[in-house]
Amino acid sequence: MPEEYIVPENLYYTKEHEWLRVQGDTAIMGITDYAQKSLHEIVFVDLPEIGRKVKQMESIGTVESVKAVSEIYTPISGEIIEVNTELNEKPELVNQDPYGRGWIAKIQPEKLDEEIKNLLDPEKYREYLKALE
Amino acid sequence: MNAGKRTHLYNFHQQNAKMTLFAGFEMPLWYKGIIPEHLAVRNSVGIFDITHMGRAIIEGPEAEKFLNYVSTNDVSKLTALSAQYSTLCNEKGGIIDDFVVSRLEEEKFLMVYNASNRAKDYEWLTMHAKKFDVKIEDVSDNIAMFAVQGPRAQETLQKISTEDLSQIGRFKCGWTKLADIEVFLSRTGYTGEDGFEVFVWNSPISNPEKAMKVWSSILEAGREFDIEPCGLGARDTLRLEAGMCLYGNDIDENTTPLEARISFVVKFDKENFIGKEALLKQKEEGIKRRRVGIKMIDRGIPRKGYGIYKDGEKIGEITSGTFSPFLENGIGMGYVKIEHAKEGEEVAVDIRERRLKAEIVKLPFYQRRGDTVILYGKKYPLEEAIKIIPKLKA
Repeated sequence: MPEEYIVPENLYYTKEHEWLRVQGDTAIMGITDYAQKSLHEIVFVDLPEIGRKVKQMESIGTVESVKAVSEIYTPISGEIIEVNTELNEKPELVNQDPYGRGWIAKIQPEKLDEEIKNLLDPEKYREYLKALE
Repeated sequence: MNAGKRTHLYNFHQQNAKMTLFAGFEMPLWYKGIIPEHLAVRNSVGIFDITHMGRAIIEGPEAEKFLNYVSTNDVSKLTALSAQYSTLCNEKGGIIDDFVVSRLEEEKFLMVYNASNRAKDYEWLTMHAKKFDVKIEDVSDNIAMFAVQGPRAQETLQKISTEDLSQIGRFKCGWTKLADIEVFLSRTGYTGEDGFEVFVWNSPISNPEKAMKVWSSILEAGREFDIEPCGLGARDTLRLEAGMCLYGNDIDENTTPLEARISFVVKFDKENFIGKEALLKQKEEGIKRRRVGIKMIDRGIPRKGYGIYKDGEKIGEITSGTFSPFLENGIGMGYVKIEHAKEGEEVAVDIRERRLKAEIVKLPFYQRRGDTVILYGKKYPLEEAIKIIPKLKA
């Protein structure tokens, strides 16, 4: 079954399949359409603690399907200032709307300008996905 | 995916399912998804292709005697067209495999064992058969095998069956025609539900038409009950909820049937069998660890290999775990030191460096027998269970 993956513009991506949306001086992250499709049927999201200081590409939580556990890596360093607690009750939102209601965490970036260079733009991420097929 | 062995239904699976490689076979992991498939079996009916499993015919004047020597259960108790769950053990009492044996005729048996142990079991059986007047034939590649499971399994199959299936009781077998094709049925399964395993005889993988016809006829017959084709994903979550062991996870050559809490398959009062001495010794001395059910109290999903703790001390390890799609809770099984193997004992499961609260519960987590439901080891009438389990439908 060949799959199509949604890769919105204006986001940054990691090779571990997280996305980052910069909004003013904060940023929101989640997992990509590819990640949610690979996991399928997400039944549990282990969210990071608010106030936690994190380093770029550090594991901040997990997303679990019936069969598998997948780590969530933060695309940037900073402080976790908000998490999507709706996922505690409705983890399936990550499947249904990975770039919207299925967001994972809001981060107060520490060194955004420097670290954003380590992330992929939509075009590069699409190429990266193609290479994975 | 690396090409593996394929079953008669490969084209169907490949077109409709997410595939996985299991025990050397390209098998469906899920079609619609593990959760809808799991729920279909709990509330109505599902069909699984389990042709990857190993099958052998044991035949000859000493077939019963041979089977009673290599297996732990008592085959002499099996009447014709009956089935029995049993184990093959080594001299130390370690489980070589678990299997179901059916008596086809006085001197003819069908053994069904794990796909992952096909070669090992066949080798073990043929090695020990030398001392007996018995013939062993590996028929795995000549018989297609499906499981039709769920409260609506009988109704589904009855629509296309020439025989009255209500006459086949639990752990009984029989011959019938399904969609004009001769099949052998046993009322057995690996889901905790009522259901049948369907054997399409003389159906080599190179000539798949017969098996394909049986499969599609069952799907067609089950359509009014919203039958779902189910993959190995749902097969695993269903058997786990039903408290059944998966070879390689929950049992292996280092565990005995007594530790695995399947001692009902060990009959010490029969003549000598491989492993008897060691098992008897273990029974007399007492087991040091036992398989238990683990239900998470904190939010979390136990997985194979996670440590089980009590007051900071490691008392065991999870051997199988998942999120139960039906009970909507993290559940698992594992072995703990015998002094902790008691119902209601609060323990902690180490989930990625966090000790999360869990409880030792009686197995099965869930099982249904007609109008009686077992939930965490406790019996309920179906009407009452429906009120407790939101996902259970009448």
